[in-house]
Amino acid sequence: MTLQVEIRGLVKSFGAHAVLRGVDLDVRSGDVVVVIGPSGSGKSTLLNCINFLEPFEEGSIRVGGQLVGYKIDTHTGQRVRQPEQELNALRSRIGMVFQHFNLFPHMTVIGNIIEAPIRVRRQQQDAAISNARALLARVGLAAKESAYPSELSGGQQQRVAIARALAMSPEVMLFDEVTSALDPELVGEVLAVMRDLAKDGMTMVVVTHEMNFARDVSDWVVFMDEGLIVEQGEPENFFKKPQTERAREFLRRLLDK
Amino acid sequence: MDFNWNIFLYSLGPLLKGCVVTAELSLISIAIGIVIGTFGGVARLSKRIVMSGLMRLYVTIFRGVPLLVTLLFLYYGLPAAGIQLDAFTVAIIALSVTNGAYITEIVRGSIESLDPGQVRAARSLGMSYALAMRRIILPQALRRVLAPITNESITLLKNTSLVSTIALSDLLRAGLEVMSSKANTFSPFAGVALCYLALTLPLLALNNFLERRYRVT
Repeated sequence: MTLQVEIRGLVKSFGAHAVLRGVDLDVRSGDVVVVIGPSGSGKSTLLNCINFLEPFEEGSIRVGGQLVGYKIDTHTGQRVRQPEQELNALRSRIGMVFQHFNLFPHMTVIGNIIEAPIRVRRQQQDAAISNARALLARVGLAAKESAYPSELSGGQQQRVAIARALAMSPEVMLFDEVTSALDPELVGEVLAVMRDLAKDGMTMVVVTHEMNFARDVSDWVVFMDEGLIVEQGEPENFFKKPQTERAREFLRRLLDK
Repeated sequence: MDFNWNIFLYSLGPLLKGCVVTAELSLISIAIGIVIGTFGGVARLSKRIVMSGLMRLYVTIFRGVPLLVTLLFLYYGLPAAGIQLDAFTVAIIALSVTNGAYITEIVRGSIESLDPGQVRAARSLGMSYALAMRRIILPQALRRVLAPITNESITLLKNTSLVSTIALSDLLRAGLEVMSSKANTFSPFAGVALCYLALTLPLLALNNFLERRYRVT
């Protein structure tokens, strides 16, 4: 199977604090990879490096075979920034959903969804709108296309955010703790949309604290702690018999709650 | 008190002419100032140090130097360096550039007050920085700058009275002329005050209209 995301030796610091200390990760096309771990373990930073919202110091990331953020100058052999236009084109193929939704508050629901297809992809307005309507129907919000984000519940806003990312027909979707800011009763509707996407064969990298989702939906579980991948494996194995003491400790604390 | 209806009514003619000059100066300078301030505010936040440094210098200078001094410098100082500009041009330059400095800071502040997640979301969709600014950030910043820019505009309108020092027949100058020709101080100044007050009213109405139209959601 082809690799959709390929991360090698990723190192990232905020000042003196090393957040990622050498991460290798492969995500195969069509797989759902769930990244779990205690807060501050570097999960979200890892995700933000994949579409270069965060630059990194060392290592490389490839998405669909293409290097992200940097390239190697063929003459000097040194690492140089990727030209902005290339980076933008690459980002447009990587969907991202955020913890706090980050919908554009001055645009309607459908305005949020068609913005990038029209402005970045140069889609015709009619095509963008009909595609957006299909996506809204898919996330169960066909009736809300003219609403403003502030008129929606958190769960609805997050489903719009998913539709907004999907409108660019991404090759891979990144989910950054997308249910953490939601009231408990709204978590289910967002996870349902994500399950539906997974079933459809979307390649997904999901940072989450939802262990049931990790167990039921993922093809691969990655456990991070202190900027390193401590353990990874298939969900059945990982949740039944974690190999490392740190993973066992993490799961035990979650179950105690 | 030497209020005199006849002089008051007589003064209205010259004062109205002065109002036109004052209104012209204000509208042109407000418009130019807003354009300068919008680009300035964005440039002030640029990652290019030269660009943001230049904008910082610009803001520091024109917030630090009194408008009156800028006016006098441009009108009386520059000719000594061989640059002769007419009074109206000098007034427009001084007012716009000073106003632009203040609006630069207003725009910068309002962009910085927005959730950084907005830029991140826009960039994650493949938008360039410029596109994200134009479509996502500035429209949201617009709602937050309306009230402070209205304030600046009213201040600017009143500060146009300083141009009477460089021989422009603005509203204040018109009042001064009536005062000296009719030997009456109270009546023309009552008229001048009322005229300035009246001129600010359309600005307030425009602000109210815009705030309703672009209400913060």
